[in-house]
This record gives sequence, C-alpha cells and structure tokens, in this order.
Amino acid sequence: MSDRLTIAVPKGALYEETARRLRAAGIAVPKDVGRRLTVTSDDGAAELLLLRPTDVPAYVEFGAADCGIVGKDVLWETDRSVSEVADLGFGACRLVVAARRADGYHEGARYPTFLRVATKFKRSAQTYFSERDLPCEIIGLHGSVELSPLVGLSDVIVDLVATGKTLREHDMVVVDEIGASTARLVVNPVRFRAKYAALRELIERLENAGV
Amino acid sequence: MRLPPGVRDWLPQEFAYKREIEEIIRRVFRTWSYAEVLTPSFESEEALERGLGEKLMQQTFRFTDPLGASLALRTEMTTPIARLVSARLRNATLPLRLSYVATGFRYEEPQLGRMREFTQAGAELIGAPGVDAEAEALFMAMETLDAAGLRDARFDINNAAIVDGVLEAAGLHGENLLRCKHLIADRNIVALREFERSHRVSQFATIRELTMMRGREDVIAIVRPLCKTPQSLAALDRLEQILDRARELGWRERINIDFALLRDLAYYTGFVFEGYIADLGFSLCGGGRYDGLLPRFGYDVPAVGWMVGVERILLALERRDVDERPRNEVDVLVSGSDTVAAAERAKGLKVRLDVLDLSREELLAYARHKLIPRVLIARGGEVEEIAP
Repeated sequence: MSDRLTIAVPKGALYEETARRLRAAGIAVPKDVGRRLTVTSDDGAAELLLLRPTDVPAYVEFGAADCGIVGKDVLWETDRSVSEVADLGFGACRLVVAARRADGYHEGARYPTFLRVATKFKRSAQTYFSERDLPCEIIGLHGSVELSPLVGLSDVIVDLVATGKTLREHDMVVVDEIGASTARLVVNPVRFRAKYAALRELIERLENAGV
Repeated sequence: MRLPPGVRDWLPQEFAYKREIEEIIRRVFRTWSYAEVLTPSFESEEALERGLGEKLMQQTFRFTDPLGASLALRTEMTTPIARLVSARLRNATLPLRLSYVATGFRYEEPQLGRMREFTQAGAELIGAPGVDAEAEALFMAMETLDAAGLRDARFDINNAAIVDGVLEAAGLHGENLLRCKHLIADRNIVALREFERSHRVSQFATIRELTMMRGREDVIAIVRPLCKTPQSLAALDRLEQILDRARELGWRERINIDFALLRDLAYYTGFVFEGYIADLGFSLCGGGRYDGLLPRFGYDVPAVGWMVGVERILLALERRDVDERPRNEVDVLVSGSDTVAAAERAKGLKVRLDVLDLSREELLAYARHKLIPRVLIARGGEVEEIAP
C-alpha cells in the first residue's frame, strides 16, 4: 500500500473477528498483542490502535486514526463526523427495548405515563422515546442493565441483545427493536482524500475479507 | 478565575504568532485587491438567521438586550457581509471584492480545531456568475496557504450540480434527492445501500461509486455519461476549465475532484472546494458559490466566497518543525531619555523604555535575559550605547 495507515481497532467482543478480517485483508496483525495500546503490523504496513470500542469514533474524527472498526451501536451513541464506508457484517446484535415478561408491555400493555428507562445507550434511548412522544427519565448505567427492572430501578431497559439468552435468564422479553447493529468500517473524511489509494484498497479488501 | 469552555487567552508570544499569520493572509488578500471590512460581533437574530443553515442555527449564541431585542453573535462572516452588501453597498459597481479577518462564535463541543470563539479569514467575490470567479476563489485560497507556509496543502473541488444531475437521472427528486445528497456528503455508503434497498432505485451502484470516486480528468470522463441535465454537464465543463487553469499555474497535482464534497447543502449552490493537509484530520479552508444567499436579503446577485480557520493554520504549523528561533521582541532598551527613545522609534525600531530606574548592571542583565541586542543609557546629556 502506498501510505501507511493508522487503524483504530476495538478491544473486547469485536476484537478477534476484527483481527481475523484485517489479516484476511493482508494486514499482518500479530497473534499476541497482550496489553499493548498500539501495535505495528508484522509487515509494517499499518499501525493499530487498540481502543475501547466507544473511543474509536473520536480517534477517527480527529484523525488520530485514519480509519477504524466499530459497532453501529457505538456510532448511534456518539455524534462524530466519520464516514461509514462499509458494513463488515460481523458482531451482529440488536438494540432493543426490553421489560419484565410479567409487565406485559410486549403484549400491548400501556407504559406508565412517565417511563423510567435504564440503559448504557442514553442517546439512542432518548431519541427513541422522544420520537414516540413518550415522557421518560433516562437512567444511565454502565453494566448489568437487566438487573434494574427486577429491583424496581426502572420500568424498561434499552440494551443490546445478540442471542437473547440474558433476557430469558431474567424472565425479560423484547418489547421493540430500535435498530440492528453490525461492525462498520469508518473513515476520517479528510484522510479519505489524503490517503485515498491506501484507504480504497483497504476498504475493498475488508469488504471481500468477510466473504 | 476560570474561563468558560471553548474560549482561550492568547499570551504575548502565541498572539504575536497569530497576528503574524493574519498579516500574511491580509497581504495576500491585498495583492488580490480585496478590501477588508468588519461587521459587528452581534446583530439582530433575524438578520443572521436569514443566511444560516440548520446546524449553525443550533450553534448560535443568542441573547436579548435590556429592551428585549433578540440578538445573536455571528457564527461566520458571510451572512453579515451579505447583509452589509445588500443594505449598504447596493450602488457599488459589481463585482465587489471584500475580505475579512474576524472572530466568530459557535456553541459546540470544544475540541481540537473547534472552539466556541475562533478567527476566520475569508474573501467574498460578489456579482460574478462565471467560472473565473470560482477559479479566483480557489487560487487565492491556494496562495494563502502557500504564503502561510503550508505548501503541501491539497485541494479538492466539486460542483453540487453534478450530484444533482446524476441523482435526477436516477429518478430521484425532492426530499429523496436531498436525503440521498446528505448521505453522499457524509460518504455514508452503508446508509446509501439501505436507501437503495428501500427505494428500489436502479443503477444505484454508480451513485455509490461516484461517492467514493476521486481523481481529475479521468473521473470527469467517467461521470459525463451519467449526467443528463444541462446544468450538470456545464458543471463538469467548469471543473475541467479550473483544472486546465491550475495546470498553467503548476498546481494541477494539488487539486482533485471529489464528487461527494458538498459542504453545507443549504448554502452552496454550485462550485465548492476544500483545502487540507495530510497530518490534520480536518480541513483548513473551504468555500464555494452561494448564489442563493444575497437574494435572501433582497439583492439578486451571485457570489463566491471562501474562508480559512486561522487557529487551524496555527495548529498545522505547530506540528511542523518550523524554525522556532526565539523572537526578537525588542530591538533596543533605552534608559533615561524620552528623546533618545523617540528617535529610535522614529527609525521604526521596537523600543523599550526603562520604567524601573534600573542601574547600568541591571539594564545589561535585563537586556541579556530578553535577548535585546542594544542598550542606550542616557546620563547627564551623554548617551552610551552598549551591546549587552
């Protein structure tokens, strides 16, 4: 590739498949990255920044990375101007409104007039309920969101589900789907121009790497 | 005392540097025979709103005066200048060439290269509908970044009529066309694919290709057959002419066509451009044709304009290994005589007068510390000159 690229890579759930795809696209991601924050691909063609998934859009927007891989769910939550150039298809999950089965919201029971919503996805939740004109209080949590309706902290939750196992285990059901998320390749708008050839090549290779 | 978010102080050295850059820009503006103007920092909300798109409207600082009049801080200079031209310069011979170096205010999340108070320098060429005015704006912007020391800056150009023409040929109109244009401007290929699926538009793959395309005459040749409207074909011709003219200036390699470059859709009606350097993730300057703006103030004339972010230039230069010589802030230190100091100032030198009644040794120590090359000490009618 003509220019050396800096790629923002999400640690956590998306990491393994991201590394696999990058390798398939010809970027020699080292096997063991340990606890490092940055790694250079074995062939020196790319610099990888290993980031918390929620930080990927910021790095790309400022151009600290030329491009990055990130779940659509993260993009919903951040208002960053990055170009979403490819849907990489993996890491599929849905952002849903869920509640206790016993409350019957999934069968048409009416929400309380002032709904309490617990979520890690405050922005998406706010948008969803505002668009439906449902007054609500958004309770921002950082984990184990499904606990909150069980102990009376909230009426419903907005959270990601992949298989639905966690919901079932807590006797909760999906009330509505807000959106479907997969991993996306995002690009800094100015770098798209400045490193055009290298980025187009990477985009094409990553799109084909999934097939 | 703390400052509110998004604003900053400029300490002497950094401010001197900023002023230097502004002077370099002003010099370029003068050589292109643009006259500098200034409008008030705030004016009636209604006047500013007339020119602004939705995003800038949301970012406008608004307030009321004690009598209840609704006022707003300017978010940029083009709208106030449009107001100024339509109200005060209507009888002036066209085309008008006006420039500015002024602060603007926007309520945004403060971040690198994006502050709530910032300085923009820009130029407006009012009353010229043709490609000559567009070339002038672009070449002037290129000269400005060159003069500021950013000779590696690259420029991407486009004409909004081209995307319109291709989308119309694909059967899109009205709201759908606008929605699609926004997706192209964001280069959101994923959403374009979704749009294609839900609207069953034929030959949409070419629109996605157009969005990702970048080049020069090669991409004009690819896109020409897709353009069906006379406006879009004319727009391609104009881009080609600009490339030809850039070649004569030796600048062709620095210019690319990017069909997805649309900037503010509500503002720009035709030609648009942006300038950037590879090491910053945001553009340094940009502009284009905004024929729709002055008519909103009741003056039906076309216009082209562009602006550059002064702080962004400083950021770009900061990252370079520019020769950071300590600047010689004072040429001569004078003690004990107003007339000696006045004579030195009259030579155009930067003169510092001792106001602390320092001794000879203290004066020399001070001069050494401040890198002042000359010290003049006047005592009892005698003037002693010392190199410290």
